[in-house]
Amino acid sequence: MISSDHGAVYDRGYRPYEGPRGLRGAAMFALYKASIRRALGIRRSWRQKFAPFVLLGVVTIPAIVNVGIGYVTRDRLENTFEIVTYRDYVGVSSALLLFVALVAPDVMCPDRRQRVLPLMFARPLTGVDYVIAKVGAIGSILFAFSFLPQVVLFLGNMLVSDSASEYFTGHLDVLWKIPVSVLALAMYYAVVSVAIASLTDRRIVAGAAVIGLLLITSIASGILVGDLNRGEGSIAALINIWVLPLYLRDLVFLGNIDPDSPLTEVSNGGLLAVVTYLAILLLGFGVLLRRYRWVER
Amino acid sequence: MEATSLLRLDGLTKRYPGVTALDGLTIDLPRGLVGLVGANGAGKTTMFRLLLGISKPTEGTIEVCGINVAMDPIGVRSRLGYMPEHDCLPLDQTAADVVSTFGELSGLPARAARQRASDVLDLVGLDEARFRPISGFSTGMRQRTKLAQALVGDPELVLLDEPTAGLDPLGREEMLALVARLGSFGISVLMATHLLDDVQQVCHHVVMIDAGRLVVSGATDSLLERTGFVTVDVGPRSEELVAALSKIGLPAVAGELLVEVTVDGEHEMDTLRDVIADLGLPLYRLTTRLTSLDEVFLRLATSPARA
Repeated sequence: MISSDHGAVYDRGYRPYEGPRGLRGAAMFALYKASIRRALGIRRSWRQKFAPFVLLGVVTIPAIVNVGIGYVTRDRLENTFEIVTYRDYVGVSSALLLFVALVAPDVMCPDRRQRVLPLMFARPLTGVDYVIAKVGAIGSILFAFSFLPQVVLFLGNMLVSDSASEYFTGHLDVLWKIPVSVLALAMYYAVVSVAIASLTDRRIVAGAAVIGLLLITSIASGILVGDLNRGEGSIAALINIWVLPLYLRDLVFLGNIDPDSPLTEVSNGGLLAVVTYLAILLLGFGVLLRRYRWVER
Repeated sequence: MEATSLLRLDGLTKRYPGVTALDGLTIDLPRGLVGLVGANGAGKTTMFRLLLGISKPTEGTIEVCGINVAMDPIGVRSRLGYMPEHDCLPLDQTAADVVSTFGELSGLPARAARQRASDVLDLVGLDEARFRPISGFSTGMRQRTKLAQALVGDPELVLLDEPTAGLDPLGREEMLALVARLGSFGISVLMATHLLDDVQQVCHHVVMIDAGRLVVSGATDSLLERTGFVTVDVGPRSEELVAALSKIGLPAVAGELLVEVTVDGEHEMDTLRDVIADLGLPLYRLTTRLTSLDEVFLRLATSPARA
C-alpha cells in the first residue's frame, strides 16, 4: 500500500478464483449468450440495435392490425375478422430474410476476420460446440421473432372473440402447430445462413451471398415450374430454398401440401419436401463442421 | 494433487507436408517462468498449438500440468491461458466485455467472470480504460488486454507468444514486469520469444529450439557462463587503475565509467583487489561479466542438444 496525506493507493494484486468452474457446456452456453447479445446489438451502439428491433416491429404489425380491426368490427361482422391466418403467419415476412442476411454474417465473420477463433479454441470449447452455439443463437432469435407475433395474434384474437375460453378450446391445435412449424423454419434459416456466412470473413459478401442464394433459387424455381408444367406443379419447386420450410409448415398445419403450391401435383411431394429439407440441414451442418474441423486436428 | 512438472514432452514431433515443424523434442520443464526461445519459424507457435490440443502431434506425447493432452484436451485447456502474438481482439467491443466473455468461455459463472475481468484489467493497468472500445486502444493497451483475457480464467499456466512484440521500450519493460509478477502469483508462464533479452530478464528456465530441434534446456543461471571478464566501477579515476594493472600484466580497458579487466582465476582477482586498495580508489561495484543468452544460443545452435 502506498499512502499519503491525501489518500492511499492499494495494489490489489491477484486473487485466485476458487469458485465453481464449468467445462464444455458452460463454454458453449457462454458463446451462445455472447452471440445472442451481438445479434441483438446488446452492449453495442444504437445502430446495431436498430435492425433486430425494427424487424420485431415489422413482423408484429400484421398481428396488431388483425387484432385491431377484429376489435373494431367485433360487433358488426358475423364471423371473426381474419386478414392473416396462423399458418400464413409462419414465415410471412421477407424481413426475416433481410434479418438473417444481416445478423448471421455479423455473428460469424468477425471471429475469423479479427482472428478471435484461436482465443476461443484455447478454451474448453470444440468446433462442434462452436457450431451449435452459433446456429443455436441465430435459430433462437429467429424462433422468438417468429413466435412472439403469433402469441400477440393468438392472445389478441382470443380477447376480441365473443368468448375467450371458447376461442382457446377451439384453437388448441395451433398451440403445437405454431411452435413446431416456427422451429422448423428458424432452424432452417439459421443453418443455411450461418453455413454461408462461415465461408467468408467479409460480412458484406456473406450477406449478399445469403440473399443472392435465396433469390436466385427462388427465381430459378419459378422459371422451371412455370415453363415446364404450366401450373401442374413440378419437383423443381424444391430448389426454391427460400420457401422450402413453408412446405413443412403446410404439412404441420394441413397434413398435406397446400393445393395452391407448385408441389401439389407431384407424387409424394410432402415426403420429398421433408427429405430435401433434411438434406439441406445436413449439408449446412456438414459445411460448418468441415469449416471448423481444424480445431479437432 | 498438484503435479510437480509443468510440462513434459516425450519425443514430440510435428510434421506438415514438406516440413518438420518439431523434431523429437523431449523436455521436462519445472513450474515457474520459462522462456521458449528460437528464431522465427523455429516451431514455437506450433508447440503452443500442440500444448493447447488444437493441433495433434505426428509422434510423441505431451503432458501439461500432469494431464495428457491427447487424452484430455478440454481438461488441459481449462487450466491454460493463451496470449497469441497476432491481433485477436474483437475491436468493436469494450475491454471489459471482451475479457468478461472470455472468462465465461473459460468456464466461470457470468457474475464471477465480470468480477474477475474487472480485477485482471486493473492488474494489467487498464482499470480506467476498460469501458472503452478496443478499436481506440494503443498497441500496448491491446497487448495488456490480450494478457488480461489469458489471465481471467485463473490459469495454472499461461502461454505467452511474443508478448512484447510491437511495444516501445517503456511498454516492453512494463509488460515484462507484469510477466515477472505472474510468477509471484503462483501462475507458471511459458513465454515464446525470439528476444533473448526478454527471457534473460524474466525467466528462470530457458528452452532453446532451432528448426524444430532442441538446442538446450536448463536453468537460466546455469546457461549464463562466466566469461573471464570482470567489470569494475571505481569512479572517475578509471584511467589510473588501467595504468596500474597494465604495469603488472593484467589486461584492462577503460570505458566511460567502468573498467573491464581480464582475469584468470582467484589469484588474479586478489591481485586486482589489492591494486585498487593500494591506489586508494573507491570500489563502487565489481561484477563478473556473464555470457548473454544470445551468445549461448549462437554457440549451441550448431552443437548437439543437451538438456
